[in-house]
Amino acid sequence: MLKEISRKNAVHIMLVYTGGCNGCDIEVVNAVMSPFYDMEQYKVMLTWNPREADILAVTGPVTKKFEKALKEIYEAIPEPKLVAAIGTCAITGGPYANLGGDLGSSDQIIGGVAKVIPVDANIPGCPPRPEDILQAVASVIPLLAGKR
Amino acid sequence: MADTDRKERAEVEVPLGIVHSALLEPFRTRLFVDDEMVVDAEITYDTAHRGIERIMEGMPVQKGLILTERICGICSHIHIWNGTRMVERGLGIEVPQRAHYIRVIGAELERLHSHLLFFGHAFEILGHETFSMRAFMIREPVQNMLFVLSGNRVHYTIPVLGGIRPRCDIDKQKKQTLLSMLATLEESLIQFRDRTLNDSLIVSRVRDIGYLSKEDAVKYGALGPNMRASGIAYDWRMDVSEYRDNFDFEIAVSDGGMVVDRVAVRVAECIESISIIRQALETLPDEEPVNVSFELGPMEYQVSYNEAARGEIYDSCALDDNGRILSYQNRTPTMSSLSAMEVACIGDHLTDATITIASCDPCLTCTNRMTVIDEARGREYILEPEELRRLARRRG
Repeated sequence: MLKEISRKNAVHIMLVYTGGCNGCDIEVVNAVMSPFYDMEQYKVMLTWNPREADILAVTGPVTKKFEKALKEIYEAIPEPKLVAAIGTCAITGGPYANLGGDLGSSDQIIGGVAKVIPVDANIPGCPPRPEDILQAVASVIPLLAGKR
Repeated sequence: MADTDRKERAEVEVPLGIVHSALLEPFRTRLFVDDEMVVDAEITYDTAHRGIERIMEGMPVQKGLILTERICGICSHIHIWNGTRMVERGLGIEVPQRAHYIRVIGAELERLHSHLLFFGHAFEILGHETFSMRAFMIREPVQNMLFVLSGNRVHYTIPVLGGIRPRCDIDKQKKQTLLSMLATLEESLIQFRDRTLNDSLIVSRVRDIGYLSKEDAVKYGALGPNMRASGIAYDWRMDVSEYRDNFDFEIAVSDGGMVVDRVAVRVAECIESISIIRQALETLPDEEPVNVSFELGPMEYQVSYNEAARGEIYDSCALDDNGRILSYQNRTPTMSSLSAMEVACIGDHLTDATITIASCDPCLTCTNRMTVIDEARGREYILEPEELRRLARRRG
């Protein structure tokens, strides 16, 4: 009971960057950390420890080299957990997933995050604005509470 | 050095990464430590390889140039500008002076936000959260200026073959807005500079660590502000005609080669960037910003260099008869700067190693694309350090 209440008031996001262009990555850090948008005022904190995290935010298309690491990180996060795919690349693989024409899929990229781990929220944009990320995270927090 | 040598010399190996709070981007650092002193370091970066050069093969040139911007979310403008410049030179497309000015404004705003991001990140690693937050706070107006200029905070896509996109043109009202935002920015940046570089806490933490001598900077191919902090006074802006012919600016150089010099050089460059943007806004020529009367055709192999926020950037490609890209190649500065940092953190305390590595402002999104894929033999490898140094030293 006490644990439930206190955990609801301290949501931790873990940001994993799986090989995108840095744009989404910085906008997320900007949304959470920077004093301008400051997601911490809604008691949402950034963490680098998967065992402490509640929400896993993934930016960028998943490269084949990263697949194992991403799965391990996902498994290390305790239940209940949510996964947010941030940016077009994380949702579909963006321009990298398909080489176009008869060339088929890329040798380096698996594609969107959903191909590796289950995704609960998609935030589209190239990159999404910090306001969008704030809104999206605010909207999934009740989901997290419901899962508990 | 062989792995066995390292094990003999080092007591403990400290691996950081590929996901680590101090690194932010996915690269793996192996520090070989003897009684808390770093005796050797090894930096591996290949997790973010996406194969952009491969995707661009055979793509229409306009489409391919937009993809170059997606190489990196921090230095996006310089990639598309340098690529566009190269194709314009190769095909002999005339570009209006107004377009050159607006491209320079984009590039300098990008340098500002990149350097401010570096300060935010570096001070966070140092553990000085107040200055880190202040740097992020100053960075936000720069992002807003980019938004006013182009309509997006990241990936602005300002240049197009023959000029700039009309949405990025600067009318009278936009000019006034940008100038007033610039004045506020300059004020807060000068305050930040005086406060940071005179702060005994910060300076004592970054002084006398991460020494990179002038010889090592040349040998390992440090580029951009890292090279200038080791006393080599060279900046590609001195040779790029858009800058050289139109604007007055100075190159910030420092002889120290320490982490503090790498910070100081970047602070000085920020102030210089503001001066360039102001000159460009005030003397903006009045003409059409884009020239649409050109024809795409075959182009011989062309090369273009420019100064990105982190150092020299190099693009090259050829075009076939239909204006499609043949063997696009792009080389970015972090590659060789990071290998110079492998040397710089040797002899330092373990706790100083992360700030030393971060002090070269590593950006891995572009660097990762240098993985070589040998399709004929069906194998894949990262370029060897000697190869990198050879590439990095191509310019004398």
